[in-house]
Amino acid sequence: MSAPVLTARAVTKNYRLGKREIPVLRGVDLSIADGERVALLGASGAGKSTLLHVLGLLDAPTSGAVEYDGRVVHDLSVKERALLRHRHTGFVFQFYHLIPELTALQNVLLAQMMGVSMFGYLGRRAALRAQAEELLGQVGLSDRLHHRPAELSGGERQRVAIARALIAQPRVILADEPTGNLDSATATGVVDLMFAVQQQRQLAFLLVTHDERLAQRCDRVVRMFDGKIVGEEAATGAGAAR
Amino acid sequence: MIAAFSPFLALRYLVTRRINLLGIGGVLFAVWATLVVDGVFTGFVYEIQNDVRRATPDLLVTDLPDQTSYDTLRAAIEADPDVLHSAPRLRHYAVLQPLRPPRGMISQGASEVDFNQMQGGFALLLGIDPLLEPQVTDVQAWLERGVSSLQSRTINGRAPVVFDEPDPKRRMYLKLPDEVEWRARGRAGLPREERVEDSRSEWPGVLLGWRRWHYTQLLREGDPLELLTAMYPPGSGGDVKISTRHTRLAFAGYFGTGYRLFDETSALLPIETLRSLLGHDISNPRSKAIVTDVAVRLRPDLPPAAWRACQQRLRDAVQALLPAGAAPCSVLDWQQQNTVFLTAVNHEHKMMQFVLFVVMLVAAFVIYATLHMMVVQKWKDVGILAAVGGNAADIGRVFLLCGLAVGTLGALLGTGLGLLTTTYLNDVNEWLYRETGLELFPRTLFDLPTIPCHLTPGWVATVAVGAVLLTLIVSYLPARRAARMNPVQALSYE
Repeated sequence: MSAPVLTARAVTKNYRLGKREIPVLRGVDLSIADGERVALLGASGAGKSTLLHVLGLLDAPTSGAVEYDGRVVHDLSVKERALLRHRHTGFVFQFYHLIPELTALQNVLLAQMMGVSMFGYLGRRAALRAQAEELLGQVGLSDRLHHRPAELSGGERQRVAIARALIAQPRVILADEPTGNLDSATATGVVDLMFAVQQQRQLAFLLVTHDERLAQRCDRVVRMFDGKIVGEEAATGAGAAR
Repeated sequence: MIAAFSPFLALRYLVTRRINLLGIGGVLFAVWATLVVDGVFTGFVYEIQNDVRRATPDLLVTDLPDQTSYDTLRAAIEADPDVLHSAPRLRHYAVLQPLRPPRGMISQGASEVDFNQMQGGFALLLGIDPLLEPQVTDVQAWLERGVSSLQSRTINGRAPVVFDEPDPKRRMYLKLPDEVEWRARGRAGLPREERVEDSRSEWPGVLLGWRRWHYTQLLREGDPLELLTAMYPPGSGGDVKISTRHTRLAFAGYFGTGYRLFDETSALLPIETLRSLLGHDISNPRSKAIVTDVAVRLRPDLPPAAWRACQQRLRDAVQALLPAGAAPCSVLDWQQQNTVFLTAVNHEHKMMQFVLFVVMLVAAFVIYATLHMMVVQKWKDVGILAAVGGNAADIGRVFLLCGLAVGTLGALLGTGLGLLTTTYLNDVNEWLYRETGLELFPRTLFDLPTIPCHLTPGWVATVAVGAVLLTLIVSYLPARRAARMNPVQALSYE
């Protein structure tokens, strides 16, 4: 296994509720290497999503460190973290989180516009559009480019979200319950797609899930309880067989 | 650098949310109203100021002691290098009454008590020298305006001819042609020569402010008017004794300056006639040419500093000629002569502009409200944008650009509509009056042939740019709120 691309060292996260401090993460150590598929399993309230947000630099840890490729990144400026998030990390959420006013193609293009100036985008618009169309084709949505999220099924919306997460060629995919809002058949299709892309691109993949069977399809299963990692094991399912 | 997604998303939000039309409409209306209403009001103010200017000499030497002679002051005044001409003036009050009551007097249905709405009525007499007065004020234009003002009320007439009299001795007394007085005598049943060729005008002429028309409507050129005035010479024992004087004058026509107060109250008559009424023997060359004021015309295009310097010089020169211990005289420019009125007009203008600014504020508040609502509704989108790599400033910029676009579009449309409205305002007013009998602005109320409108490119640009800046300011708070949103909270909410 290669060097870790994403590392959490003794990460804690507390939330303030009035005068009280509520600890959500209590010293978490986790690392993920290139091409590794890690499942984060735990009951509701274990701190899985919070850890995901801290690793994705959407939230800052109360203490501890987050490293990307060995470099400490959690204390960068807001702007630098946003740029890093754009280039290094792709998010896939349970509820897709697509912009309802934009079409499938525009939602993917939006991710490409993040680190580009107006004039820079206008100069490369055709190339970026072609790239987005190709990616949407890879996720099976060639004929849905100009449909808004309200006109897409749940599975199709999640595919758009996956394409959006991949368009900036990230090193890491952080997926928070990506099948939580899908029926089982659709969920299987989406998971198969995600794993295929992950395999193809050798992305580091952190999957937050309740689903034990889904977790066993990964390389490693990390179990969380009450803000701490309480167990870590190799997966026994398809992921272990890779 | 503005990230490409900011304008991209701002445009999508604007196009898909019809509530933004409210913001555009609000700014459009505010800019339109400001340009049209302020343009018309400024036009009226300009007309009023021009009318006041027209009715007022460049400078007026006033607050002179009783029995001041024009002959004493004239040389000193006209010696000033910036003075072109001067003319004497004598102010007094009198009652003017037609010799024969006019038949079929038309009631005006006054809404207020007006002493002028009686047969005759009080008048402010302004004694002028008909030979010198045209050099300091545009008297001929006054005469033409009097006719046009009456014509706006469908009363036809011709401009008075008294200033066209070639004989300066007759012109000095505003005498009408002999045949005019001869016919007037016949109408009034007064004695006259058998033949018109043998008659000679005896009555000095008097010009009335055209707004006195409602009781003189049936007066014709030459009709006799009785003038009654009073004086208060000190009695032999030092007590004040009232003595009255009266004379007969010939109605010579109307004048109009546009300055309502002046046109309502004033009557112009020969200064020598008034001096005689006030007890001076005008046939005696040694009698004093008494004045209450001296009107002065200055060189054109004098800068304000030179104007004020001339005022000071004249004040000093005139004061040096007055008796020792005399109260200080005043030398007033045209604005100082009408300070109270012009200040009131300017104050009303400022109040109107303030009201229009409040309208603009309301429109800006509408934009703030719609943007605030949009930020609240787009809370989740903020989280999405942060998750895919958008930084806080660019996220806030989305909403700032929304506000800017709404304000800019509203300002552009409002400016275009405002310019269109002001260009065709009179056409619309004419059409409305023709089709419905209604007028946006009653012309008779303001004695103007058209609705005045004064818009400068600078003011139009100020209003448009000001509207855009105001929307930018009110867009800042919702944008800042969006930029400061916690993306984790936004993403967690479902």
